[in-house]
Amino acid sequence: MLPAVLSILISFAPPIDTLPPAYAKAFKESVPLEKLAAPVSVLLPADLKADGVVGQGRLSALVPSLLIPEYGASLTSTIYLRGVGSRMENPSMGLYVDGIPVMDKNAYDFDWTGIRFAALMRGPQATLYGRNSMSGTLVLESASPDGNRHLNAYVEAGLARTLRAGVTASFGRHVVTAGFKHNAGWDRNEYKGTLCNPYNGLSLRWKWEQDPTGKTRWSNSLFATLSQEGGFAYGLYEDGVLHPVSYNGEGSYRRLSVIDGVGFHYTGDSFTLDGTGSLQLLSDDMHMDQDFTPQDVFTLQQAQNSATATAEVILKSRKEHWLPSTGVFTFYRYNRMHAPVTFGRTGIETLILENANKNIPEEIGYLSIPDEHLLIASDFGIHTYGAALFHESVFPLGRWRLTAGLRLDYEGGVMDYDCLANLHYRFVPTMKADKAFQVPYRGTLPHSSGLQVLPKVSALFEASDHVSLFGSVSKGYRAGGFNTQIFSDILQSQTMTALMKDLGVYLDNIPTSVGAENTRYKPESAWNFETGARLVKENFRAEATLYYMDVRNQQLTVYPPGKSTGRMMTNAGASRSLGAEAELDWTPGAFHFHASYAWCDARFVSYNDGNHDYSGNRIPYVPAHTAFASAAWRHSFTTVSLHLSASVRAYGPLSWDETGLLQEPVHIRPETRIALSFSHWEIWLRGENLTGRTGRNFYFKSVGREFFSLERPCNILLGISINY
Amino acid sequence: MKTNKLFVALAALALLACNKIEPEVIVPETADYQGTVTVQYQGEPYDNENIEVNFTPSEDGKTASITIFKIRFVPQMPVTIDVTIPHVGLTATSTEVILICDEVIPLAMGGEFPRYTVTNLTGSIKDGSLEFSLNFGDIPTTFKGHQLLK
Repeated sequence: MLPAVLSILISFAPPIDTLPPAYAKAFKESVPLEKLAAPVSVLLPADLKADGVVGQGRLSALVPSLLIPEYGASLTSTIYLRGVGSRMENPSMGLYVDGIPVMDKNAYDFDWTGIRFAALMRGPQATLYGRNSMSGTLVLESASPDGNRHLNAYVEAGLARTLRAGVTASFGRHVVTAGFKHNAGWDRNEYKGTLCNPYNGLSLRWKWEQDPTGKTRWSNSLFATLSQEGGFAYGLYEDGVLHPVSYNGEGSYRRLSVIDGVGFHYTGDSFTLDGTGSLQLLSDDMHMDQDFTPQDVFTLQQAQNSATATAEVILKSRKEHWLPSTGVFTFYRYNRMHAPVTFGRTGIETLILENANKNIPEEIGYLSIPDEHLLIASDFGIHTYGAALFHESVFPLGRWRLTAGLRLDYEGGVMDYDCLANLHYRFVPTMKADKAFQVPYRGTLPHSSGLQVLPKVSALFEASDHVSLFGSVSKGYRAGGFNTQIFSDILQSQTMTALMKDLGVYLDNIPTSVGAENTRYKPESAWNFETGARLVKENFRAEATLYYMDVRNQQLTVYPPGKSTGRMMTNAGASRSLGAEAELDWTPGAFHFHASYAWCDARFVSYNDGNHDYSGNRIPYVPAHTAFASAAWRHSFTTVSLHLSASVRAYGPLSWDETGLLQEPVHIRPETRIALSFSHWEIWLRGENLTGRTGRNFYFKSVGREFFSLERPCNILLGISINY
Repeated sequence: MKTNKLFVALAALALLACNKIEPEVIVPETADYQGTVTVQYQGEPYDNENIEVNFTPSEDGKTASITIFKIRFVPQMPVTIDVTIPHVGLTATSTEVILICDEVIPLAMGGEFPRYTVTNLTGSIKDGSLEFSLNFGDIPTTFKGHQLLK
């Protein structure tokens, strides 16, 4: 019955926008998106505008199975897709902008001014896209020059002194975009009496493309962002009550990111050759009150200066029944990280002295550290390098498109660590004066993710002109690496041990701490088994998929027990994700409907942290459901068009930790947009999170205490744009 | 002539006297020992097994410092500590080195540790063995151990 109704509705609908040819170059695949044997969510310029997609966070739930909670600061970029993700280190979703792989997760979150197209392919895309595209790959494409002059400018203002403005100018073979974003902040720090997450950001994009008529075509894409923001609006959760944000330290993040990529395309008689090279620079500086209390416990600074170079060449040829693609990829990244932890007076007393003195009999004496601040300096030089060789062949055979691919991917790294604790101490009553004491901790640690063999086999069957069925088996992986955030814990332990040894005192129960050699974590890998169907007919597009992901060495952020101050990535045994996704896009006449839904059951298959067995429990932070629905209507008067749209996005429930005892209910966020469009300009009013409910969107522990952050409240924005 | 005979007789006597061999006195040397420290806790002996002790004589060989590593004075102590007993008097003979110290404040935890003032220390080093007894404060303590091979 339903197919019949859909068929009737489709037959009366006008055609939808087709994907402009320029967008196709963002992809490495040899076949058009609608012929891919993988689910793809596509956002065209009209979608980006209508849904207010101004950054990656706005893709949550709009793309099935995707959740990118917006908390912390721009470096956070926690991405959960199909039950896989983590808030630290390597992402599980690859990101390509104008064909350039963004190699640093700290650069993922940026203002999308100038972005004209977004597509997210779900499931492992490792064969072509390589490392970290284990649960999917997001491909973004900025505006391309077409030889004519265009000008687009907009400004949008809203609550909390939100201001976004941007201008995109196209002339000749150039497109230049500049954007500005300001926000006064949403969350008040009760202790300081100020808003703790203001934001100021600038972005600049320049794209040049050689005239595409020749056989050889060069292009260059430069993207730079500069931002200064507050952040880390985390409130203490105690006895079931979430307290307001209240801390005394600095919470800020500054980032300069510059990415430049050069592209080369050669069209031969029977082949094409594509080359991409990029240089990616990132300089950032984060300051965090890591106890998030008004007490002077401890703070963290993390300043990174990284440089990455990538290069890729792909050779494609086209024969009647064989579309082979063969490529090589290599990269090198150096990251110089300065990450000192500073203990304040309260931290020295509660985290260090209290722990030390509780083991020393009173009649013997006690340890005293007179310093007002205790600095644990940690500097890291991390080299990461990798190379890959890949091949994928598509065989169009009648109604079948069979694909087989294989990627050999090697990644390794070396970390130089140079840590130093610097303090004065005195044992009372035996020592008559304070003694200066230093504990250095230095070394070099290699790491290897080994050779990853990443195969892929898929088949797509065109059951009719409009319906295709597909299935695939593929493997993806997320690189391993080093836990730098646990070094402060290591050095605290090393300092106590060294200090006690210097005193000639030896504790029976020495607090256990990992050493540098334990800070490596392994790559995570996943086999994905998937089947789906796609219906594309004129103005109607629907897609449904079922998948099963078998994840090994799941990377999970854990908090060492007790009053530890760090956190670390660990490989938590095995997990699996079982899910179903559906997406629908339909434009009947003046209406436009879009809906997406996903169910994901992501659980540990085996995970025992030594104290508890979490096997069978839900993976933390992963919503069981994501849903999005929007309806839009357009009516044209003589000189003006009226656009009305309403949407709702929802996700949840989810578990906040491995035990599954702390849960978050479903979040529902309704939105709306009203716009009046004239020939060259448009004015709109849109509202986000109209109910104003601020659900919890992030949970963590610090020094044994629990904290949450909240979603952003309701925002009403008024905007205007001109287009020439 | 008479005078010459007397001279020869004295010379012979002197030569005989030189040929009488005196026993050599032991020169105290730095050494590490391992053994058992026994402390009296509530009237009962409490043994600290495999305790290492360092013996370091002064340059003139008249005194020495003795460091006892990782000693526990009472079973309930959650820590072990290093204690150094300075200024222990030495008397060397041909067969042993005699240790003696009436009273001295030991060193521990970065300074003087008067709570466990050492009194009545007596002991000896003989044939590669070190033995001594003393009071740490009011805790009677003994050590018996053998020299560790270098």
